[in-house]
Amino acid sequence: MAIAFIAGLVGAPLLYALVTALPTPRIAVSEGALVAAGLLVGIGTRYGSGCTSGHGVCGISRLSPRSLAATAVFMAAGFATVYLIRHVLPDLRGVV
Amino acid sequence: MRVLAALFAGLVFGIGLIVSGMADPAKVLGFLDLAGAWDPSLALVMAGAVAVGLVAFAVAGRRTTSLLGAEMQLPTARHVDRRLVVGSLLFGAGWGIAGFCPGPGLVALGMGEFKALVFVAAMLVGMGLFEWIEARRSAARVQLD
Repeated sequence: MAIAFIAGLVGAPLLYALVTALPTPRIAVSEGALVAAGLLVGIGTRYGSGCTSGHGVCGISRLSPRSLAATAVFMAAGFATVYLIRHVLPDLRGVV
Repeated sequence: MRVLAALFAGLVFGIGLIVSGMADPAKVLGFLDLAGAWDPSLALVMAGAVAVGLVAFAVAGRRTTSLLGAEMQLPTARHVDRRLVVGSLLFGAGWGIAGFCPGPGLVALGMGEFKALVFVAAMLVGMGLFEWIEARRSAARVQLD
């Protein structure tokens, strides 16, 4: 069942392309950063039992306090990470 | 029939992710960049999805079986624990680095993007790493007993 769902997810662009032109995802980060991000997302979603759709959409829709807390935490972590990468680290590089 | 329903759900979810811009990491990072040129539009995507989900899960919560006769398996845990918080912190950090979460990563993989393959492969390794750590932990617990 899960395999069929994942097949649908991966196959969605094909169906989309039959109807209209497919947008190109803009992936600016390096392969190394993608590996680090993938590892963190893989471990984190299993350890925290969910992701943006599991907690953020389904969990909040079920009014689960757990999912509300998880969503607040991963959103905050996402905001903080982007802040560090885009607004703190570049300045540090300038200083050092 | 249930397999077809799961496939259909994946297709609908995937197309939703493409249409909404969730499958575009640059847009996701724009949403997470509060201090930059913040693009709040993805918050509306989540609000819209939850609006639909509220109705769907309210109906699901009153049933014992799905429309196709499968047993209803809704999560029952409601307490916030350390695992939930630590896991969500790690996930959020990874999400902030690349702008990919699991669903959109798989959709971008379906678009034939090599970088999405790198992300998904690393994500699967991360999930495997979690399983390995858990297995070692439970083995250690058995030994203690």
